[in-house]
Amino acid sequence: MMIPVRLRCRSLLWSLLVLVGLTLSAQGIADPAFDSPPETDSAGFFKLNWDGAERFELEQASGPEYEDARIIYRGSDTRTTISGLPNGEYRFRIREEGAEEWADQAVVVVEHHPLGRAFLFFALGAALFVVLILAIARGRRLA
Amino acid sequence: MTAAEEVAILPEGIAWGILIAFGILWVILGWYLGRKNKTAEDHMLAGRNVGLALATATAMATWVTANTTMTAPQLALQLGVWGMFGYSLGALGLILFAPLARRIRELMPHGFTSGDFIRLRFGKFTWRVFLVVSLIYAFGWLVSLAMAGGVLINALAGIDYRVGMTVILTVCVLYTLLGGLRAVIGTDFVQTIIIVLGVAFIAWLTIDKVGFEAIHFNLMEERPQLLNLLFPAAIMFLFNNLFFGVGEIFHSNVWWSRAFAFGRSVGFRAYLLAGLLWLPIPIVAGFVALATPALGINVPVADMVGPLVAAEVLGLTGAIVVFIVVFAALASSLDSLLAATSDLVTRDIYRGHIRNRASDHEQFRATKVIVVLLGLVTWAAASYRGELPVIGSLAEVLYFTGAFVASAIWPVVAGLYWRRANPTGAGLSMIAGTTLGLVSYFTIGFYVAALVGAAVSLAVLVLSTWLAPRDFDWRLLAEAEPHSAAPVTRGAR
Repeated sequence: MMIPVRLRCRSLLWSLLVLVGLTLSAQGIADPAFDSPPETDSAGFFKLNWDGAERFELEQASGPEYEDARIIYRGSDTRTTISGLPNGEYRFRIREEGAEEWADQAVVVVEHHPLGRAFLFFALGAALFVVLILAIARGRRLA
Repeated sequence: MTAAEEVAILPEGIAWGILIAFGILWVILGWYLGRKNKTAEDHMLAGRNVGLALATATAMATWVTANTTMTAPQLALQLGVWGMFGYSLGALGLILFAPLARRIRELMPHGFTSGDFIRLRFGKFTWRVFLVVSLIYAFGWLVSLAMAGGVLINALAGIDYRVGMTVILTVCVLYTLLGGLRAVIGTDFVQTIIIVLGVAFIAWLTIDKVGFEAIHFNLMEERPQLLNLLFPAAIMFLFNNLFFGVGEIFHSNVWWSRAFAFGRSVGFRAYLLAGLLWLPIPIVAGFVALATPALGINVPVADMVGPLVAAEVLGLTGAIVVFIVVFAALASSLDSLLAATSDLVTRDIYRGHIRNRASDHEQFRATKVIVVLLGLVTWAAASYRGELPVIGSLAEVLYFTGAFVASAIWPVVAGLYWRRANPTGAGLSMIAGTTLGLVSYFTIGFYVAALVGAAVSLAVLVLSTWLAPRDFDWRLLAEAEPHSAAPVTRGAR
């Protein structure tokens, strides 16, 4: 039996729509993922955000092979504050709690401000502080 | 479920009980203390004769705020030991303001606001620049305090952030409205006792339950930079925080209104004592954040770390104590800021720019309307926590204003002590200091904005005075009626 061309086109269109819908829906529930993780950090603290499941496992490592990896969070939170890390390249992996495979990873390079810059601001602050004390002390004497 | 809800350990019922009980207590106390207020001066300056005990308590309680109880732990978590030590340098703001308070009281026996001083000393241009700086700061601080209230209630009890923030703000607006500065100072006295006892209790229990050794070991393992005395951002932060604190106190009408309200010989001793008593509080409050790795707590947002650690370590009793302490600390600052900012808006905007001949009764009424309006605007801004590009964590909001306030330090000091300071240069120094301070906030980090603002402001003021010095007669500051038009012109030129 011959199927009319218009009907064939409509069936094909529906099949495509169902396929696209299934794909999108699968992507929506499949894997936790980081949301815009920072690439570098100079302040010494940064935030990581993620989403995509009910409960998560977050792992941190300092090498590309994850040799020293350790779970730093397990639970339903969708963000964390990282701080206190020395200079280096840090890797973070996220997955749904209990899952076999890691779903996403983020690499953050921690490179603190140079000490020279830090001491420049320190010296500027110290100098201003001395000026402030002298201004008040001298002002009181002259007033 | 939000991150905070996962760790909330204070049952909602108890949290609501505390909120309602203390809310009613503050409102009744505010009404009782303010029932004799008959004039704008009563309402705004509590009769200009506050004694040493109340004066010290109000200065200390106002300075123990979201900054101390929530931002100090945040900075300890982000910048380590220097973060909490640097925060305690804020005490120098109170200590250095002691001689200024005495000078202010001597020069301006009839003064009402910091705006009065700038207008009389430097003229209208600098006065308007100062008002912009002052109001942006006041608004930033109000919003950060309201946010802290919402964050606290959310972290400890899981009550929606906006609901908690609304309740705290409403309570503070109500009793400030009813009692003015008398209510603010009276409630501050009670709140100071609660804060000091509560903070000491929390620190003692944290050390007892976790122990120094465990805290140190876990920090070295997981967050070693927090113990590093050569932590670059923390070194940059040290003097930045000092100048931020000094800028906040030197320019803000919160502290000027107290200088006018304290008895003649009280201001110097009250500010000195309050500074010395305040010094250890950020270290004690911030220390608990260093227990985070030892406890294995996740900190979703840095400004939640204090309540989260306290709740984890101390259990239900601890959570109740933290809740009461931070509620008291927030209220003691929110009320002060609402009162002082409404005074500034009433005197310097309403009477100074809109209705020059407003009677005392009209000012009295305007002050109350402005308190309500300030509360509403603050509520609207704090409702959008984390949803606007600029409004982020508590520290980020607070230090954004650092560039503004630090640039006002030198105009205030020069205005009080330097006869030849150039009036226009004072205004330009605030503009230049704020602008470059903000540039450094966005290009380097929040931990340098105040320092850069103060340095640039000093350079502009010194240069302009060197190029065009102006003489000033200090007696012009002691005008009988603080808002007559004539002295403005004479004072400005």
